[in-house]
Amino acid sequence: MLGFIVKRLMWMIPSLFVVSFLAFVLIQLPPGDYVTTYIATLAASNEIVDQTAAADLRARFGLDQPFIVQYAMWVTGIVTRGDFGLSFEWQQPVSGLIWERMAFTLLVTGSTLLLTWALAFPIGVYSAVRQYSIGDYFFTFLGFLGLAIPSFLLALVMMYIAVVEFGQEVGGLFSDRFVNAPWSWAKVEDLLKHLWVPVVILATNGTASLIRIMRANMLDELHRPYVTTARAKGLSEFRLLVKYPCRLAINPFISTIGWLLPNLISGALIVGVVLSLPTAGPLLLQALMAQDMYLAGAFILLMCGLTLIGTLISDILLALVDPRIRLE
Amino acid sequence: MTDRTESSEPAAIAVPDLSRRRFVAGVGGLAATSLVAGPALAQAQAREAPALAQAVAANQLPPLAQRLPQSPLVVTPVERVGQYGGTLRRGLRGSQDHNGILRMVGNQGLVRWNLEFTDVLPNVAERWEVNQNATEFTFHLRQGMKWSDGKPFTADDVVFVYEDCLANSELYRSPPALYVVNGRFVEVTKINDHTVRFKFAGPYGMFLTQLATPLGQHPTLFQKEYCKQFHPKYNAAGLPALMRAASVNSWGDLFRAKCGDIEIPTRWGNPEKPTIDPWVIADPYAGGATRVTMRRNAYFWQVDTEGKQLPYIDAINFSIAQDVESLMLDVISGRIDIQERHIDTLQNKPTVAQNAQRGNYRLFETINAGSQQVTIYPNLCHKDPTVRAILNNRDFRVALSIAINRQEIIDIVYLGQSEPWQLGPRPTHPWYHERLARQHTEHNPREANAILDRLGYTRRNAQRIRLRPDGQPLFFAVDVIPTLNPDQVDTLELVKRHWAEIGVDMKVNTIERALYYTRGDNNDHDFAVWFGPGGLEPLIDARDWVCMHPQGSRFGIPWAMWYASGGREGQEPPDNQKRRMQLYDQARETTDVRRQGDLMKQILDLAAESFDCFGPCLAPNLFGIASNRLRNVPARMPYAWSWPHPGPSMPQQFFFTS
Repeated sequence: MLGFIVKRLMWMIPSLFVVSFLAFVLIQLPPGDYVTTYIATLAASNEIVDQTAAADLRARFGLDQPFIVQYAMWVTGIVTRGDFGLSFEWQQPVSGLIWERMAFTLLVTGSTLLLTWALAFPIGVYSAVRQYSIGDYFFTFLGFLGLAIPSFLLALVMMYIAVVEFGQEVGGLFSDRFVNAPWSWAKVEDLLKHLWVPVVILATNGTASLIRIMRANMLDELHRPYVTTARAKGLSEFRLLVKYPCRLAINPFISTIGWLLPNLISGALIVGVVLSLPTAGPLLLQALMAQDMYLAGAFILLMCGLTLIGTLISDILLALVDPRIRLE
Repeated sequence: MTDRTESSEPAAIAVPDLSRRRFVAGVGGLAATSLVAGPALAQAQAREAPALAQAVAANQLPPLAQRLPQSPLVVTPVERVGQYGGTLRRGLRGSQDHNGILRMVGNQGLVRWNLEFTDVLPNVAERWEVNQNATEFTFHLRQGMKWSDGKPFTADDVVFVYEDCLANSELYRSPPALYVVNGRFVEVTKINDHTVRFKFAGPYGMFLTQLATPLGQHPTLFQKEYCKQFHPKYNAAGLPALMRAASVNSWGDLFRAKCGDIEIPTRWGNPEKPTIDPWVIADPYAGGATRVTMRRNAYFWQVDTEGKQLPYIDAINFSIAQDVESLMLDVISGRIDIQERHIDTLQNKPTVAQNAQRGNYRLFETINAGSQQVTIYPNLCHKDPTVRAILNNRDFRVALSIAINRQEIIDIVYLGQSEPWQLGPRPTHPWYHERLARQHTEHNPREANAILDRLGYTRRNAQRIRLRPDGQPLFFAVDVIPTLNPDQVDTLELVKRHWAEIGVDMKVNTIERALYYTRGDNNDHDFAVWFGPGGLEPLIDARDWVCMHPQGSRFGIPWAMWYASGGREGQEPPDNQKRRMQLYDQARETTDVRRQGDLMKQILDLAAESFDCFGPCLAPNLFGIASNRLRNVPARMPYAWSWPHPGPSMPQQFFFTS
C-alpha cells in the first residue's frame, strides 16, 4: 500500500509539468493577449486607451517575450518561490486571489456533495428494491427531469421566480449588509439562508445521476447467489441489504471523490456566474476571458493537481472498502 | 487667447468663441457659477452632512471651514438644492469595469466639461491663462483645497505627477501622448504653492479640451505625500520591504498597485490612497470582489449654491453582477438607483420601459456622441493589388453605398429610431457637413448596377455574382465582433442581401475581438465595421475623416501609422489624405475655435470628396434609468467617453427625496 502511494506521488511530478505546459499553451492559443483584450473591452464602451500606455503594458507584463521564455519564468517562480505570478488585471499576487475564493467553493461543493449523497443513497436503494413500483417510477421520472434540466437554467428560473413573484433577493452567499462584515453568528445565519439555493440547484443534477447509478448497481447485486444465501439463512431484509449488496454498490459514490475535487473549481462554474457566487468558477471564467494568463494558469494547474490527488484518494478508499480491488 | 477667471465679472467668464458651440439643444443648464459674494460669506453659510457635523462635534474632524478651500467650486444643482443622506445603488461587471467607477466619481481634473459638452469650465483649477501662441498654460489652483485625508492639495502634487512619475521611464516607458508636443514632453513648473505652469514645445490649442477628458486627469491623480513612499527617489531604502510585503518584483508594479493609474483597476483597489473625488473607496474593486462601496469624502471641495458641502449622498454601493442579464434583473426590479452602463442597448429599451412603474424608476435620454452606428471601412490599403484597385475606385464605393436599403435597416434593426446617414458631426453640431453626412444615402440598386456595369464588372458566375477582371467573383469578408455589438451583425446580414442584389458577394465575418484587432493591425481585412465616433467631438476623434488612429482608421491603417510615426512607418497616403492630416494638425494647434471650424470645414470637404467609408444610419440616442427618488439627474446628457457620462452631470449634486 505504502509503495503504491509513493509510486503514485512520484508519477504526479511529470504529469503536473506536462499539464502546466498544456495549460499555458491553451491559454496562449487564442489570438491576441491580455492587452489586446483589455483594449477591446474598453473600446466596447467607447473608451480609449492611450497608445503608448498599451505598448508600455505589454512590455511590463513581458507579453512581448517569446512564449517559451514566459513559460520558463512562470514555472521557475512557482518551483523556486511558490510565486504563481501577478494577475495582470488586478495587480495582485495570484495566490492571494485564489485562496480567498477556495474556502467558499469548498463550502458550496462540500454541502452539495453531502446533500447529493443523503438523497441519492436511500432513493437509489429504494428504487432498486422496489423495482417497477409506483415509487420507483416517480423517482425515475424526477431523476430524468433532474438530468435533463441544465443547472444554470434552473438557477435562472429560480432567480426570476424569486425576484418577480416574491420580490426576494437571491444571488450571492450573503445579504448586502453582511458581505464585507467581519464573521459573527448573524453572518453565519445569513450564509445558511443563502447557501441552500445554490446547493439545491447543484445537487439536483448530481443526485439524479447518482440515483440511476445506485439503482443499476443494486439491481446487479440483488440477484447474486450470496444474497439468496443470506436470505435463506434468515437474515432480516434490512440488515441483509445494508450489510452486503449496499457495500458493493457503494463503489461509484467513492469514485465521485476523484472528480469532486476538480469540480470544486470548474463544475459549478455557470451556476456560480448566474448566481454571482463568490466561488472560484466565475473568477476563472473572467481570467480566461480577459486572457489574464497567470491567474487562469494557476487555476488550471490547481485543478489538475486536485484531480490527481482526488483520483489517488478515491483509489485508496476503494481499496479499503472493497477487498476485491487490488492496487497492483 | 483664452483667459478665463472665476471672478464676479461675467465678461471675464464668457468666451465668445466658445459660446457658439453650445449646440446640444434641450439640455438643462448646469454651470459652475462664480462666487459672487466672496469666500468669507460662502463659508459662513456652509453646511455639511449630519454624520460629519457629529464628527466635528466629537472633535474627530476639523470644522467645515477648515476642510473647504477658500473659494470652493460652486455647483448649481440641475433642479434644486438637495438634502443629505442615502446610499446610491449601481451595478458593475466583475471584470474590466473599473471605468464604471471612473465615470461615476472619478472625473475630477483641473478642468471639466459643461453639461452641453461644448465648453471647458474651471474645476480644480479656479482659473487659468494661456499665452498668445498656446504653448504655455498657467493654472491657479484653489487655495486651501484638501485631499481626502486632510492634507493640502498644492502645486507640488501636480509637479510630482509630471516630473517624478510620467517622465520616469521606469514607471511610464514613454509618457502619455497627451503631454507630448513635437516629440518633447511637457515642462511643468511650480510658480507658487497654488500656481503651476505647463510649457509645451509647440502650440497646443486642444490641451484644455484634452484635460477635460478622462485621460487628462493626471494632474490630480497622485498625492505626493502618500505616493512618494513607493518611489525610489524619495524612499529608496524602504522600497524592498514594501515590495516584499506586496509580493511584487519592481517598484513600478508596487507604485501601480498602490496608487493606480487613470484606467487600471488598482486605481479603485486601495482604500488608503487619498483622492479628491466626492466619494472615496471603502470596499475596494479587487479580484473576486462581490461589491464595491464608497463613502463620502469629508474634504470634498465643492458646494452648492447655498454653500452646502457636496456630495449630498452619503455612500455608493456598486453591486457586481457577473453577467449583464442579472444586472437587468436588478434594474427592472428596482434594486438599482441609476444605471446606463451595460444595459443601454436598444434591444433592452422596451423591457426597461415596460417595468418602469414596478421598478419605480424613470428613463433619461443619453445623446449619442457617436456619428455613424456602423461604419463600413473598405480597406483602401489592401495587401492584394487587385482588391486594392477595386476598392480604391470611388464609384465602386458609391455603388456599394447606394445599394444599401437604409430605411429597411433602420426599421428592422434600430426600431425606427435613426435616419439614413454617412459620416461627420451630428446634425445638431455647428460643424455639421451636409454633403459628407448625406451623400449617396438614397437607395438606388438600379443606379448601383449601372455603375458596376460601367466599371466593367459585366461578367457574372452561376450564382449571378459579378466577376473581377481576373475572373474571381467579387467577394469580400467584412470583419465584425458579434459579442460587442450584436446589432452590427444584424445590419450586415441585411447589407449582405442588398449587395447580393447588385451582384456583390459578402461574408459576415464574425470573429472574436482580439482576432479582429490582430487582423486590423496586420492589415489583413477586406472590410471591417466599427461604431463610428466623432458626432459631438469631431476634432478629438476624427478617425473616420482623417486617417489619424492607427487602430481605428480601418480604411487605411498603414496610412494612419505613417501619420502617427511622423512618416517613419506605414505607407505614404495619397495627396487628399495628406492634406487632411496637415489641416488636422493645424486645427489641433490653434485655440481659436473659429479657425478650428474653418479648418474642419476644409477637412470634411476633402473627406466628402474622397468618400473613404460609409454606413447605414446615424448612431441613435440611448437611455439610462434613474430611481424616481433620485433627483437632479438631467433629463438628457451626452453619451460619450470624452464626456464620461454620467460623471460630468455631477453625481455629487444628485440627492434622494425622502
